Amino acid sequence: MTILHSREKLTLANELIYEIKVKDAMTREVIYFSEEATFREIQLAMKKNRISGVPILDEKKNIIGIVSIDNVITALDQNYVNDKVKDYMTKEVVTIPQNYSLVSAIKKFEQYKFGRLPVTENAHSHKIVGILTMGDILNRLLLNIQTIAENVEKKEDKNLQISEDLLKQAQQKPLRFEVKKADFDNAGRVASIIRNYLQKMNIDKQILRRVSIVCYEAEMNISIHSLGGYISVQIEGNNIIIIAVDYGPGIPDIEEAMKPGFTTASEQIRALGFGAGMGLPNIKKCADYLELESSMETGTILKAVIHLGG
Amino acid sequence: MKIKEIVNILDAEVLTGEDLLEQDIEAFAASDLLSDVLALGKDNFLLLTGLTSQQVVRTAEIAGGIGVVFVRGKAPEQEAIGLARSHHIPLLMTSKTMFEACRAITEAIISEEKK
Repeated sequence: MTILHSREKLTLANELIYEIKVKDAMTREVIYFSEEATFREIQLAMKKNRISGVPILDEKKNIIGIVSIDNVITALDQNYVNDKVKDYMTKEVVTIPQNYSLVSAIKKFEQYKFGRLPVTENAHSHKIVGILTMGDILNRLLLNIQTIAENVEKKEDKNLQISEDLLKQAQQKPLRFEVKKADFDNAGRVASIIRNYLQKMNIDKQILRRVSIVCYEAEMNISIHSLGGYISVQIEGNNIIIIAVDYGPGIPDIEEAMKPGFTTASEQIRALGFGAGMGLPNIKKCADYLELESSMETGTILKAVIHLGG
Repeated sequence: MKIKEIVNILDAEVLTGEDLLEQDIEAFAASDLLSDVLALGKDNFLLLTGLTSQQVVRTAEIAGGIGVVFVRGKAPEQEAIGLARSHHIPLLMTSKTMFEACRAITEAIISEEKK
């Protein structure tokens, strides 16, 4: 598999095959037989359960052989289908311990071209605790990938729910949201919360957009350029007041920072689609009133006011 | 023009939001620079982009977008899909390049105007 040899950036599935253990992907209900079983019995079980191979275990559930559909076909072909499997089964069985990662399992599937791998209790044991196919691996990967999206969705839904009660308080006192340094995945959280809240208050769409853009750009600025800070939101009569405070290092030349296209953002930020030097000019465009103060000792304070109309 | 029509025009796959395709598109944005999308100044727009991060969806939602098209067959990150579901923003994916996609949409708009 080329994926294992690639030196390129790890893809999601690639990361997961290292993280997930065999025991988390395997099927635990193993259909197995003793060496006293006949090929006919096994053939019927294969048909009934839609499987193409079964492990042969002793009374202590230790693996002593495997019978694949190929073995059954040969038995049919050479007329010993009613014989016991004991003398014909494949005795050199490749197994995998349950605490190994999926990457080892995939390597074995590649190397031996088997359809399934019996899973042992540990590396020194022959006791079978499960069975693993490429289908099991695929199912597990798909499940894990789906979970990532689901977790983000749940977290965001929760965020938006909290916002309503919280923002009602914003009419009495400023509401404070922490913004962490370099936390780009969460930047925009405050903007979303406020947008969601104002939307329910039937605020004009254009004003809604301007408020959330000021918030988002301010959040991005804090996480990109500063050591961290917070956004405070207050609704005062017909105005919304957004204050973004960071703990430094400060803007050396505010006039220059306000110029469209001026930027000090890194390549990483640019790869995300930001850092074009449009943040502060865009905030200025969207706000009805803007105040910006910066000190190289204490950091930057941005205050934007937007009239909510009506 | 409805998002549903874009699905046809771009031969696009709907990654999430099958039930949100009846919305009317009022403007288009085609950009890999999210800062520019934030400066667009229009509501109810459809965003076409080559970026795949969750910030794309965040930006679209905040700037008043109603859908996102990922061009050149690049699938968005799973986080982007989760965020889109939470905010009810449909995500489409087309194998067309940005240029081809813009051209196909423009041609459809022109032929609609001629009618």
